[in-house]
Amino acid sequence: MPILSLQEVSKDYLTDGQPVHALSSISLNVERGEFVAMVGRSGCGKSTLLNLAGAMDFPTSGNVLLDGVATSSLKDSGLTRLHREKIGFIFQSFQLLHTLTVFENVELPLLLAGKSNPREAARERLAWVELDGLGDRYPHQLSGGQMQRVAIARALIHSPSILLADEPTGNLDTTTGGLILELLRRLTREQNTATIMATHSPEAASLANTLVRLRDGRIQEITRR
Amino acid sequence: MTLLVPFYRLMVRPLFREPVRTSLTILAIALGVSVVLAIDLAGGAAAGSFRSSMETLAGDNDLEVVTSGGVPENVVGTLATLPYPIRVSPRIEDYAVIADTKKSLPLIGLDLVAEGSAFAQSESQKPVASQTQDVSEHAFEYLGDADSIWVGSSLGYRAGDRVELLINDQVHSYTVRGVYPDSNGNESAIVMDLAAAQHALARYGRVDRILLKVPETPSPEEWQQRLQAALPAGVEVRPQGTGTNENRRMLAAFRWNLRLLSYISLVVGAFLIYNTISVSVVRRRPEIGIVRALGASKRVILSAFVGEAACFGIAGALVGLPLGRFMATGAVRLMSATVESLYVSSRPGIIELNAGSVFLAFAIGVGVAVASAYSPADEASQVSPVEAMARGRREYDVHVQKARDLWIALALGLAAGAASRAPAIAGKPLLGYLAAILLVVASALAIPAFVEALTSVSSKLLGKLLGIEALLASRSLAASLRRTSVLVGALSTAIAMMTAVGIMVGSFRQTVVVWMEDQLPADLYLRPAGSAAADRHPTLSSGLEEEIAKLPGVAAVDRLRAYEINFENMPATLASADLNVPRVYHNSDFFSGRPKEQVLAELRDSNAVIVSEPFTYKHHLKAGDSLTLSLGETRATFRIADVYYDYSSERGGIFMDRNTMLRYLPDRAPSNLAIYVSPGAQLDVVRTEIEKATTGHRVLMFSNRDLRAEAIRIFDRTFAITYALEAVAVIVAVMGIAGALLALVIDRRRELGLLQFLGAATRQVRKLILVEAGLLGLLANLAGLALGFALSLILIYVINKQSFGWTIRFHWPIEILLGALTVVYAATVFAGLYPAQVAVRLSPVEVVHEE
Ligand SMILES: Nc1ncnc2c1ncn2[C@@H]1O[C@H](COP(=O)(O)OP(=O)(O)O)[C@@H](O)[C@H]1O
Ligand SMILES: [Mg+2]
Repeated sequence: MPILSLQEVSKDYLTDGQPVHALSSISLNVERGEFVAMVGRSGCGKSTLLNLAGAMDFPTSGNVLLDGVATSSLKDSGLTRLHREKIGFIFQSFQLLHTLTVFENVELPLLLAGKSNPREAARERLAWVELDGLGDRYPHQLSGGQMQRVAIARALIHSPSILLADEPTGNLDTTTGGLILELLRRLTREQNTATIMATHSPEAASLANTLVRLRDGRIQEITRR
Repeated sequence: MTLLVPFYRLMVRPLFREPVRTSLTILAIALGVSVVLAIDLAGGAAAGSFRSSMETLAGDNDLEVVTSGGVPENVVGTLATLPYPIRVSPRIEDYAVIADTKKSLPLIGLDLVAEGSAFAQSESQKPVASQTQDVSEHAFEYLGDADSIWVGSSLGYRAGDRVELLINDQVHSYTVRGVYPDSNGNESAIVMDLAAAQHALARYGRVDRILLKVPETPSPEEWQQRLQAALPAGVEVRPQGTGTNENRRMLAAFRWNLRLLSYISLVVGAFLIYNTISVSVVRRRPEIGIVRALGASKRVILSAFVGEAACFGIAGALVGLPLGRFMATGAVRLMSATVESLYVSSRPGIIELNAGSVFLAFAIGVGVAVASAYSPADEASQVSPVEAMARGRREYDVHVQKARDLWIALALGLAAGAASRAPAIAGKPLLGYLAAILLVVASALAIPAFVEALTSVSSKLLGKLLGIEALLASRSLAASLRRTSVLVGALSTAIAMMTAVGIMVGSFRQTVVVWMEDQLPADLYLRPAGSAAADRHPTLSSGLEEEIAKLPGVAAVDRLRAYEINFENMPATLASADLNVPRVYHNSDFFSGRPKEQVLAELRDSNAVIVSEPFTYKHHLKAGDSLTLSLGETRATFRIADVYYDYSSERGGIFMDRNTMLRYLPDRAPSNLAIYVSPGAQLDVVRTEIEKATTGHRVLMFSNRDLRAEAIRIFDRTFAITYALEAVAVIVAVMGIAGALLALVIDRRRELGLLQFLGAATRQVRKLILVEAGLLGLLANLAGLALGFALSLILIYVINKQSFGWTIRFHWPIEILLGALTVVYAATVFAGLYPAQVAVRLSPVEVVHEE
């Protein structure tokens, strides 16, 4: 069974009374260990798809199944549990909290989930992203690439089965971006997560197992390697 | 002019997008404005009115003749026989109660027979007769009748009506002979013939005041001297209405203090405007950069933010005006009750919302807003275009110079200490107020350091205790240090004022309670049912005390007599009592610390007096000094044997032996009786006996306990308005907290949305905001309590002492303080509820992706 399954998913937004079709009948299955790159012009619906996949938003029609459970059927507490156990998010602008240290940022999801003694897990995740020893720094003391690594470590802290990355290299130079992509691909394999990444970079597309091309909210083509 | 369009688009329009926060800010200013306005209006109405009470029908005279205990009637004759063309109008001035309605009214006795003929000749401008609606020749028949009265038209009586009046301890029946219009400045009063009034009051051979109309040349001062020379030494000639001015002067401190208290809400409001504009500046940094790059000068930016504040000020004043007018109604009631029971007979005047008050409202509304917005606006104008745009939307950390500010705070604190030791200036505790202000500023400056120290502790401690939400809350408060400090500053100032006034009033109350233990040694107290007030002393029929003294079970009766007098241009109460009644005293009531027996022995049959503490303070006297009093026709000098503590009235008190008083003022009628019940006799039985013996007299009898309860009731009523002012200040602060938390939520929406991406439940987001509110409340409570304690010392030992002249003993009113602080704390957390709800309703997807 695929860990993530989108079945005939559509998403409409109402803007000034006019419906905007952000996504139209999207069907897509993603397995654990699969690294999916999603490309397409700005506004084609990549972020919308990631939000649906991460159960932060819900389809207007169709179903999003996570581990076989439709996200629309879950109540607040079920959704919170889902976020805490199964999903990790990575953002273009890193979204670190500036008032927290690197350790504290990484630990945050575990603390929110009420877990005690998260420091060991945080130390381990920082080692995965090669940031050993920087745990006590504050975000503003880090470079962009380092910040994104912290964000990745944070996204992995609770060993999610799905990792959702929205243009993770968008704010980085090409070299740094390349290193981040390499890191994501390695972690997808090692941690056996299903990783879906929205991106503009052709390099990213070439690294992925699966390439999804979106256009105006529709899947134009899916290429598997 | 062309700048108005961008000003509207960039500054005003955004305000409408956050209606709740904008309204909260406006309302905070409006409350501040309205309180100041209410106290100003009410002060005028409550204190301005006593002027009319006794000046009713006083006409256009130049001088008045007065003396303690009443002017002997022969002085009228002396004046009339002087070879000068002066008009002489003797008056009796007292109070009567209409038996049906219990309404207390001025009772004025005029020489109607003498003046009536004068009225008949010239019709205009003359009191009573000419203004009487049914003036007719035969009306004069009644002029001298002992049961004829004339009344103000607003009372609703008509000629021929019978009215029962309670005067002193007797009820008499009168016939209304005429009605005079009392709308144009004349208060409604009861007018009767001089002789009839003297008879009703059992005050023969004396009048209260003689009004004099003198020719235009020479000057009134010259006339004053001439006439004074012709009269006995004790009788004083002075400009008409001097008493009114004296009363007004006595009320000045009371009004002045209330007015200052009313400014507290405004100070709290100032903090909040400062915060609102700071938030506005921080949020718009990139915008400021763009506008600057497009060619706006620093001055334009500065005016834009000052203009924004002015908009708040104008809107606040507009809302504050009607609100203040409304609050004034309540304030007048409270204030006039206080004026009446502590100072002088008064009836509240009308509240006038005139151009002056409108100007005041706008001046303070806009003034406070602009003044407090100036510093953040100036900061905005310093933003360089390049830097602001380069930083983009990144959070901008305000640089707070904690260490420097802490040193300044320390210096100001020391200055406050020095100022608090200085004496009063022109009778006003100006330096005391300065000390209080310095302390408030010092605490505002010390708060950033305090907040940082405490939040760093709390983030560790609370993180463990209350979980991750508390850690995040502490961190975020510490991160926006300036914003947090301003909020804590605002709330803690309000709390400090509340605490300080709470401690002061609580200490005062306790002091009074302890003091009363000694003041009311007798078992029962008796006074006439007639109209009484701080400056009215109705008397009992003579002979009554002897009857009571003869009753079985009565051990002794102490006769007390009080007069309203004037000592060196200030009103004072002169009282006497029998000093031969043996009593048991608990502890000393005197400055010297000597036992009471010893002090009273000095007074016995000698020209020695004891005076109250406020009296010595007002007149700069001390034990051993002597003072000269005008009593009847004579002036006599008395030695001050000692000074007694007195908290019953701010007006000064002079106390002497009854025999001494009778030598100068032979009226034997007592104003009060203190009755001692024999040991073994039953209080209730004796009380019933006394009630039987006093049938036919309208008297009121109180037990020791009744009087104490009554005194405390008056005390509490006096301070009710103080509490109301405190409450408004706290409400303003709490509203400010709500508004500021709302701003905080909106500015941190990205972070709040992110937390939900990272697995936070909505419950946790709500808790985060509530913990922040709770932390703000806690910090403010701690800082406020510390500042409040310091302020209370200034209030008790400097401001109160210098304004009113009494010594209050410090006392912690623990329960009241604890209760009030709990309420404030709960209110702060409550203020977080709406912002928390807003935080929960944010859509994480939208707020995280908006870049
Ligand atoms: N909250 C929203 N309200 C209205 N329209 C939206 C909203 N979010 C996205 N859209 C619209 O949906 C479409 C897809 O947007 P998005 O998924 O953000 O595209 P991408 O991430 O590929 O650039 C766009 O046309 C966008 O304007
Ligand atoms: Mg996008």
